[in-house]
Amino acid sequence: MTSFEGLLTRLRKVDSLYWQIGFVLVTILLPLPLGDYHRTVLWRTGIYAILGLSLNIIVGYSGLFQLGHAAFYALGAYTSALLNLHFGIPLLLTLPASVIVAAFFGYLVSRPILHLRGDYLCIVTIAFGEVVRLALVNNIFGLTGGANGLSGIDRPSLFGQALRAPIYHYYLMLIFLLITIVCVRRLENSRLGRAWMYVREDETAAEAMGIDTTRVKLLAFIIGSGWAGLAGSLYTGKLTVISPDLSKFLESVIMFCIVVLGGTGSIPGVFVGTLGMVTLPELSRSLRDWRDAWLGITMVVMMVARPEGLWPSRRVQLEIRGEREEALSST
Amino acid sequence: MQFTQQMINGITIGAFYSLVALGYTMVYGVLKLINFAHGDLFMWGAYLGLTGLNILLILLTQLSGWAILPVVVIVMITVALVGVLVERVAYRPLRTAGRLAPVISALGVAFILESLARNIYGASWKTYPNGLTPSGGFTLPGGGRVSTMQVVVVVVSFLLMGALYLFVQRTRIGTAMRAVSLNHDVSRLMGIDVNRIIAIVFLIGPGLGGVAGMIVALYYGSFDFTLGWVFGLKAFIAAILGGIGNIPGAMIGGMLLGIIEAQAAGNISPQWKDVIAYVILILILIFRPTGLLGERVAEKL
Amino acid sequence: MLKKLALLFLVIVLVMPVLAGCKKEAGTIKIGLEGPMTGDYAYEGKGFEKAVNLLVEQVNEKGGLLDREVELVIEDDAGDPTQAALVAQRLVDAKVVAVIGAYNSTATEPASEIYDEAGILHVTPSSTATRLTEKGFKRFFRVCFLDDRQGLFAAKFMKDALGAQKVGIMHDNSTYAQGLAEHTKRYAEEMGLNVAFYDAINPDDTDFTPVLTNIGAVGLDVIYFTGYHAQGGLLLKQSADLGQALTWAMGNACNNPELVQIAGVENAAGTYVTTEPLPKDVDYPEARQFVSDFEAKYGESPDSVWWMMAAEAFNVISYAIEQAESTDSEVLAKFLREEMKDFPGLTGPVLGWDEKGDRLGTIHLAYVINENGEFVVNPQQP
Repeated sequence: MTSFEGLLTRLRKVDSLYWQIGFVLVTILLPLPLGDYHRTVLWRTGIYAILGLSLNIIVGYSGLFQLGHAAFYALGAYTSALLNLHFGIPLLLTLPASVIVAAFFGYLVSRPILHLRGDYLCIVTIAFGEVVRLALVNNIFGLTGGANGLSGIDRPSLFGQALRAPIYHYYLMLIFLLITIVCVRRLENSRLGRAWMYVREDETAAEAMGIDTTRVKLLAFIIGSGWAGLAGSLYTGKLTVISPDLSKFLESVIMFCIVVLGGTGSIPGVFVGTLGMVTLPELSRSLRDWRDAWLGITMVVMMVARPEGLWPSRRVQLEIRGEREEALSST
Repeated sequence: MQFTQQMINGITIGAFYSLVALGYTMVYGVLKLINFAHGDLFMWGAYLGLTGLNILLILLTQLSGWAILPVVVIVMITVALVGVLVERVAYRPLRTAGRLAPVISALGVAFILESLARNIYGASWKTYPNGLTPSGGFTLPGGGRVSTMQVVVVVVSFLLMGALYLFVQRTRIGTAMRAVSLNHDVSRLMGIDVNRIIAIVFLIGPGLGGVAGMIVALYYGSFDFTLGWVFGLKAFIAAILGGIGNIPGAMIGGMLLGIIEAQAAGNISPQWKDVIAYVILILILIFRPTGLLGERVAEKL
Repeated sequence: MLKKLALLFLVIVLVMPVLAGCKKEAGTIKIGLEGPMTGDYAYEGKGFEKAVNLLVEQVNEKGGLLDREVELVIEDDAGDPTQAALVAQRLVDAKVVAVIGAYNSTATEPASEIYDEAGILHVTPSSTATRLTEKGFKRFFRVCFLDDRQGLFAAKFMKDALGAQKVGIMHDNSTYAQGLAEHTKRYAEEMGLNVAFYDAINPDDTDFTPVLTNIGAVGLDVIYFTGYHAQGGLLLKQSADLGQALTWAMGNACNNPELVQIAGVENAAGTYVTTEPLPKDVDYPEARQFVSDFEAKYGESPDSVWWMMAAEAFNVISYAIEQAESTDSEVLAKFLREEMKDFPGLTGPVLGWDEKGDRLGTIHLAYVINENGEFVVNPQQP
């Protein structure tokens, strides 16, 4: 264990400028020598990274159980699609709308349930995810195209050119990913970010310190959900076909695992998680029928070996390790 | 007439939900963990029952209804053992690891169980051998039709639930379970071997779940590997509806959910019935998170 | 110690799958097969694999196509559109000449966009959503028949052959079933039938007693179910348990002996099924040959009409390659559209395709399940 910790301590110096520049360079240059399939895999990795970062705000920073995050992803995607199909709005211009719609639903959903204890919040979010999926499948208000979903959505276009090739989508996504990282880091270090972490650690104490825990939790939900909506729009632009599968429970589970397995509460953790949950399985297609089992085994083993995730934020690590030591020393 | 029939339909479905809900509620009671794998254990009960019956069929070339009994016992024991194994491997190490990790572990176990079932048994629907369940039925004066099998199922469910309730209320182990649900540390101080009690809970809960799986499969006749997920989620809603951690609550919650679902499917629309069930869940948690009979859920000083 | 072991195991877990995924190249003709090998439709996807593999082997035994070996590249899309898009990209990168797939329209749709952009011939065996051929893709073809043709047939059957006036239509919210139901409703209403019940169940449901009770109360002449055979079977069984005596008709997704197994023979008897002719009724030597070869190789018969369609897709592609003496998709597509007529296929004569890529000629038949649980051609056809 100690050697891993040592590695982690060295890796934590990621905050340094060299690392950051390195990261940006790598992400810009990486797809160039690769074929379209691998570029698409990178694109997909990036989308899940954005989703992971958005969920990290809710689950990682604020410690709120959200197992229905995919619903907001889907809501963002459908908003973009509908605005484009019915009103002809160019895809890139629909982005703000999807963010707002997703954030709004985030507010609607979270407002009445924030007082619930963790496991219950978990169930409610699962239920919400299913309600959204079923409503989409049942073609609610005749808008959503049923199980078939919607198609024929325009590609995003820049300077009059529609972006078709995977590489353009990748760079478009990358712009948003980098923006997301910057924003999330800012949030992490802001008063709001610290408030989130206090709420996660001990809500009662936070309340006693004068933090409006309800408002803080609401903001986590709103921001996190809105961001997921953004990812949904990017998805719509690339695939031009969307279906209710976007809101599947499995999607929410993957996002949740990205955050927790990768390392709760930390940005590098989200990337580690995305690589583990999305990129690696994609590259290991030869397992085919047993991929689900493999995923399950990974989840169990990971949690047993390292419940705080591979690259957690130090705070979370202390929280979890501290709890364990306390518990173990008392038995 | 329709109303009566829908009530009958609802009670039947409800009995199933109640049975499965028991397993959830027991585990949640002692561990405060939502055992996502429970639905899949239930599904495995259905598959193992099928294998058991097929083996008997080969050995005896002909089966009577009574063949079910030994198979049920074996299924119950097997699934119970799997349950204990799961607890030991995937949940026990995480008891002190925060709230997020056990959820992922539970989901992981669920994936493993489902994948195993799909790979071992194949993706197509499986049918139980014919002629094992009583057929025929009778018509109520109000006009609804009740099949003999339905009566059997509901009676058996209630008997099982009653037995469990008595066990928890009247025996020492049961009392120990209730103690552990309240507080692990204090229970330990009182001399209760908490690990052993939890293991017992994981014997009974999944065991019941496995039996429920076999009963459901016998009743409907056919199933596939998606059985676990939907039933699991519904049963969980039932448990919450009744008040999680509370056995009579699971029974009532299950019945209520079944009846509401049947009425909704019949009178509103079958495709929206699941949405209605989920919405009810959400509403209950918002306005009365204690459920009908259960414990406090919100953290408020 | 346990922790260290667990971590080591974890590293293996993460690394092994990647290593396992390394592939090799060869100078063969690559044909892609995209289908749901895992997930809810795994049954059909696996069937595709078996059916097409059988034909690939046969072709290779005879020396391959254009003297080159045929290599089947199989990809799993799990019936999911995002996976389908990824997998399509993989097939494109693998430089396949043509693709057979996918199973469900939701997966076929995003994949077809990618294949079209890459200029690869794309033949679907089973995706019946009308939308797919309305995009103007020049290299996309369907071996199955469109929902609307079956819808028309079903409506006519109910009206003319069964003499129904008040009908009900039920689907299961899957893309295929919903489409078929909508078309049937449209044609039925055009013909003056009263569609007194139109609703859907959820694909995951097991208990249909509430909706059946509802249907019973409406008093229909016929109820037409367009969903899949597993639920079809459950519906029949539960309907009988409720003591109902409804007249059931089902769409071609119920065209499967498992339906009878699930429902129980007594409950299934008397049910009508609208479908493409079953392998055993397709009175073509090619079909019978295929069925017996399949049984010989796999020990089971090709029960699903979609598996036959997958094989047909391969047939069509390999025929085109041989005849056009090329593996260029443009050439092949042109061949299919313009020159391929009256090809003796194993799902009946392939009359050709229209400019949209839809297969010409509807051959639907109405079947009825007899007291032995067998599917026999119904004496009365519309």
